[in-house]
Amino acid sequence: MAVDAELAGREYPSYTYEVSREKIREYATALGETDPRYFSDGDDCVAPPTFAAAFTITKGGAPLFGDEELGLHWNLVHGSQRYEWGRHVRPGDVLTCTPRFGGVTPRGGNEFVSMEVECLHADGDLAVRSIATIVLFGSAPQPQEAS
Amino acid sequence: MSDAIVGSELPTVEMTSTLTTSVLYAGASGDMNPLHFDPEFAGEVSPTGDVIAHGMFSMGLASRVLTDWAGGPDAVRSLEVRFTKPWPVGEAAEFGGTVKDVTDGVATVQLWGRVGDVVVLRGSGTAALPA
Repeated sequence: MAVDAELAGREYPSYTYEVSREKIREYATALGETDPRYFSDGDDCVAPPTFAAAFTITKGGAPLFGDEELGLHWNLVHGSQRYEWGRHVRPGDVLTCTPRFGGVTPRGGNEFVSMEVECLHADGDLAVRSIATIVLFGSAPQPQEAS
Repeated sequence: MSDAIVGSELPTVEMTSTLTTSVLYAGASGDMNPLHFDPEFAGEVSPTGDVIAHGMFSMGLASRVLTDWAGGPDAVRSLEVRFTKPWPVGEAAEFGGTVKDVTDGVATVQLWGRVGDVVVLRGSGTAALPA
């Protein structure tokens, strides 16, 4: 069952994500970070750039996986990832994140699905834009036999 | 920060992935796919037949190469990586980068991650240089 390419561009309802100091600390610890700003109790606290994973990958992908018309499945790997940052996130920031199905490209028997999430600060400035390419194994449409 | 001269190598970051690092990263990122910490589950679905590190864990370490060099996260404008091969849990990896371009105060850095001779991550990032 192939992913429905005609749904490219479909947007999903926005969700909010509130950035917390403890979650930044936990994320920085998991990466073995040593920059004291990631662990600061003060106003200089800021998140490592890829902390964006905490609010774009699972949360951003959920509505696409839940969309039965789109036809995603779970036999997959994360193929590539792009992030474009505006203002990096800090404790207390409340982000509004909007997921979008970017499109699908068949390659071999697999499908390369583009999943996008745009996350804005409360003042409307860009926090980060995420573009993930997920490789779904084995579900690409089979070429039609000439008849 | 270090030299922002085209061709200069950035200081590398090393990390051994273990079940502990996988579980910590799963909790921190919210990506609870058991492929990264459950050997029984991984045995059925993993491309290697065993547990592998999160792709985003390797991207986070490549990002460390860039932030450590650029003087912190606020300088970083973009990152783009491909997860070229799985990083097996239990293996040590090394991450590094090379300055490819400096234009209008923005450095473009080519980034890589390797497990032995195997390239597990390839990509690039951009960072603003101090004025």
